[in-house]
Order: sequence, then C-alpha cells, then structure tokens
Amino acid sequence: MADALVIKNLSKRFGGLQAVQDVSFTVTENETLALIGPNGAGKTTAFNLIMGYYRPDTGSVSAFGQEIVGLRPHGVCALGLARTFQVARPFGGMTVLANVMTGAFLRDRSPDLAREKAREAIEFVNLSARENSAARDLTTIDQRRLEMARALATQPKILLLDEVMAGLNPSEVDQAVALVGKLSSRGITIVIVEHLMRAIMAVAKHIVVLDHGQKIAEGNPKEIVENPEVIRAYLGSGYAHVPAGAAP
Amino acid sequence: MPRLHGWGWLVLGGVTVVMLILPYLVKSSFAVDIFIRVLLFSFIGTAWNLLGGYAKQLSLGHAAFFGLGAYTSTLLQIDFGISPWIGMVAGGLVAMLASLPIGWLCFRLRGPYFTIATIATAQVLMLIFLKFRDFAWGAEGTTIPNLGHAPLMMQFETKIPYYYIVLGLLCVALMITAGIERSRLGYYLVAIGEDEDAAEAIGVDVPRIKRNIYMVSSFLTALAGTFYTQYIYFIDPQTAFNFNVSIEAALVSIVGGIGTLWGPVIGTVLLETTSALLQSWLGNSIGGVQLTIYALILMAVILWRPTGIMGYLIEVYGRRLRSNPAEA
Repeated sequence: MADALVIKNLSKRFGGLQAVQDVSFTVTENETLALIGPNGAGKTTAFNLIMGYYRPDTGSVSAFGQEIVGLRPHGVCALGLARTFQVARPFGGMTVLANVMTGAFLRDRSPDLAREKAREAIEFVNLSARENSAARDLTTIDQRRLEMARALATQPKILLLDEVMAGLNPSEVDQAVALVGKLSSRGITIVIVEHLMRAIMAVAKHIVVLDHGQKIAEGNPKEIVENPEVIRAYLGSGYAHVPAGAAP
Repeated sequence: MPRLHGWGWLVLGGVTVVMLILPYLVKSSFAVDIFIRVLLFSFIGTAWNLLGGYAKQLSLGHAAFFGLGAYTSTLLQIDFGISPWIGMVAGGLVAMLASLPIGWLCFRLRGPYFTIATIATAQVLMLIFLKFRDFAWGAEGTTIPNLGHAPLMMQFETKIPYYYIVLGLLCVALMITAGIERSRLGYYLVAIGEDEDAAEAIGVDVPRIKRNIYMVSSFLTALAGTFYTQYIYFIDPQTAFNFNVSIEAALVSIVGGIGTLWGPVIGTVLLETTSALLQSWLGNSIGGVQLTIYALILMAVILWRPTGIMGYLIEVYGRRLRSNPAEA
C-alpha cells in the first residue's frame, strides 16, 4: 500500500507552550489510524497543522507525495483531505441538504449535480429523514453525522475525524463505529482522534500516542495497551489489567 | 430558499403591474418622491444585503461606494461632458476597483472590528473629498447644470422618469440576488456567514468569495450614488459620503430580514414610508416626535423579530410546512 499522508518532524510552538514537537508518522492508504493521548497532548493542534489552519514552525506534511504545508485549508481540502471539528460546526441556519450541498459544490458547480451528490452523502450517514431540517435543530449525533456527510461530499481521499464520538451514548457509539467502518470500506483513509478506547480498538489497526506534544508510542492496539509508557501517560494502570483481547 | 409556485408568480405579476402604473395612479409629486426614495433605498439595501446579509459581513461603510459613484459620474459630466449614463457604469467600476484595497484591509478583521474598519474607510474618503478643493469642489460641492429635459444626460422635467430608472435598477439588483441565491456562490456566501472556518474546511476559498461579492455589492451601490446625484442636482462630500447611507443600507436589510431576497425591499417600505408619513403628519407639530416613533419601531423589530420580517415569515411558513407536509 502506498503512503497517503506522511508527517515528518512536525513542530508548533504557541508562545511558551510547545504544542507539537517533532512528531512524525505515516498513514498508509486506506488504513484507519487513531491518534490518542491525554487532553492537551496536541492531537487537535496536529489536525490544524495538517489541514492548514496553523502553519507549522518546522516539519512537513505530504499527501499522496505532494507537500501541503503552506496551503490554506480550502486548498488542502481541494487536494482530497477533509476534516470534522471537535465541536460540530454545522451551518446552523441552513438545512441539512444545503449544508452538504455546500460541500459537494467543491467538485460540482451545478446545483442539481451537487444536490444529487449531497443526497448520496446524506443517505450514506443515514440522515435522509432529516434532509430538510435546519442543522441547528439536530441532535448531537445527527450534527456529527451531518459533519461527516458534509466532509464526505467534498469527495475526500483522507478524512480526519476529531473526537466524533465524544458525548455519545453507548448505542450511538456503536452506530458511529459502524459508520467509520463503512467509510473505511469505501476506500477512504481515516485519521481519527478519539478518547474512547473501546471505539478505537474497534476501528483502528494502527495507533499513534501523543503526550505533551511528543509521540511516545506507535503500533497496533495490542502493543499500545501493553506499552508501559502509554499506560503511565494516558491509559492509567487500571487499563493494564484488562486483557487486550477483551476489546473487540 | 423557497421557489415560486402558482400563487407566488401571480402575486409577483400583480406587484409588477402596480409598480409600473403607480406614478400615474398617484398624481402628487410628494408621493412620487417617497416612492423614489423607497425604491432607491431598497436598491441600496439589496446591494448591501449581498455582502452584509448573505455573507453576514456587517459593513457600515457602503457610503464609500455611493460617494465614489456619485463623484465619478459628476466629474465626468462636468469636466468632460460625458453622459451620467456612461458615468454611472464608470462609477460602478471605480467603486469595484476601490473595493479591492478596502476589502484587502478590512477583511483581515472579523465581526465588530470589520464593521469599524468599513466605517473608517467611508469617513476617510469623505475627508479626502472635503480637503482636496481643486480636485472636486471641496466642502461646498457643486450643483449639476440643469439642462431641462435631457434624457441622454439623465435629466428630466418630472419625477416620473426617475421613478422608472430606479425601479429598473432595483429589478436588476433583485435578479442578480435571485441568481446568486440559487448558485454555488449563494451557498458559499451563507456558509461564510455561518462559520468561516467550517466553510474553509470544505474547500471554500473564503477571502476570494468575500472579495468577489464585495465587488458586486460596491458596483451596485455606486450606481445608486450616480442616480441620487442626478436626482437632487447637487453633490458635496457630506451628502455623497453620508454615514446615513451606510446606516440605512444595513438597517432596511436588518429590519426586513438579512440574507433574504425581499428583506431589504420590505424593510425599506416599512421604514421609509413610516418615516415619511410621520414627518408629514408630525414634522411641524412637536420637534423630534417622528424620530422618536421611528426609533421605537426599530427597537420593536430588533427586540421581537431579530431575524427581520422576512425571517419571521419564512419561520412561520416552515412551521406550516412541517405541520402539513402535503402543501410542500
């Protein structure tokens, strides 16, 4: 498999805070990589660096061999990277359909085509019943679905999901996990930031752990849950007693 | 973005017919003058609404473009004898060009800071025209030479032709808005108005879209400037770059409903008519009463109907559709 996203020596400092320090990892095509770590570890900052919201102090990010540092977010999106936000940011006053159409317009200028593509994306995330609701009237999980549909409508090859499962109840988490699996089976490369270990174990085969802006571990789920450094910094000792095989 | 069906077209057709024969129905030139002002501010409001309403970039500096349009056509007419019809388009182009550096500066700022920056640009332009006397008559301004009946120079002996000119301008602006509303640009503008970062994330080149719509909005506003100068036969920096123009442009849209096609028109009809009627009824009795009542209406709308009158109607319509989906 080819490399989809290569991150090399990425660093970003905000005043006295080294938010991301010398982080490197590679996402291969069509894999689902989870980025985990305690609050403030630099996960969202890493997303913002990749997507062009912040400019890294040093380091490079390349998508399918093309350097994307220095591009603005819309340029990054045009290259086939899409993201969701940690707190869902739908266009509240627009209907679900209009929200997703706005995403679809990136590839199709005509409103009729964009509407068609938008409906497909809405169908994909199971939101068709709410197509004509104003986005602000949706429940939390439906807003997350909407964000995914909107990102999906830009026809990304790489999708960055920022804590899409935070605040969902267990059955909603199961739905979200299924959705991520469905995205992956569509051939989309996924980078997911998540706190919920149960969900991560279910979707990711490749995990990168950040702490204080630095990468402290990388590997498959079994290696990660047994890594003493990860247990100390993030999972806590309670987790170590759970046999790795217990997670799905 | 609801589309018109049967009844909608009928109402629109009826309104068009009434608008076309209105100046002949009402003989008083006072009334025709009010109609012209209503149409003019509907037009300016519609131009403002593209940027301020759909993209929610609350500009309070549209007087800059109004003034540039007015001065461009007047300078061309008095110094070079060029017809204001051509001057009007030239003024629009000047305003469009001016919007590029103004936008480049102001769009770096968001929210109230953007608004303050736009106010400043209009004020700076006014000062420039006040101070440079040799260039454009300085503070005392100039009157437009009266040529009597000269349609080619946009001068007429009655008010009625002015009525049709500004009606035409408004129709053009409404058609442009309706076209934009349904296009990709329209969706992008609303998305920018809702959340700029989220819009960027799905591939919207926010600065470029803002720049483009600012150009359209300032072009149209400049046309109003030329028209107004021709209509009152007078120009000076205080009228051309009057802060009230900026305020009215925003106000009629806010009251009528920002980001809606008809919002600015409805807002203007309400505000201008009320203000004109109040002035004629109460203007001479107790000083300031008409302004007080005007202000009370404004406060009432902003307190109880913050989405404007159109916004309220769309809400009610939407609620009815939801309770009775068969009508959709």
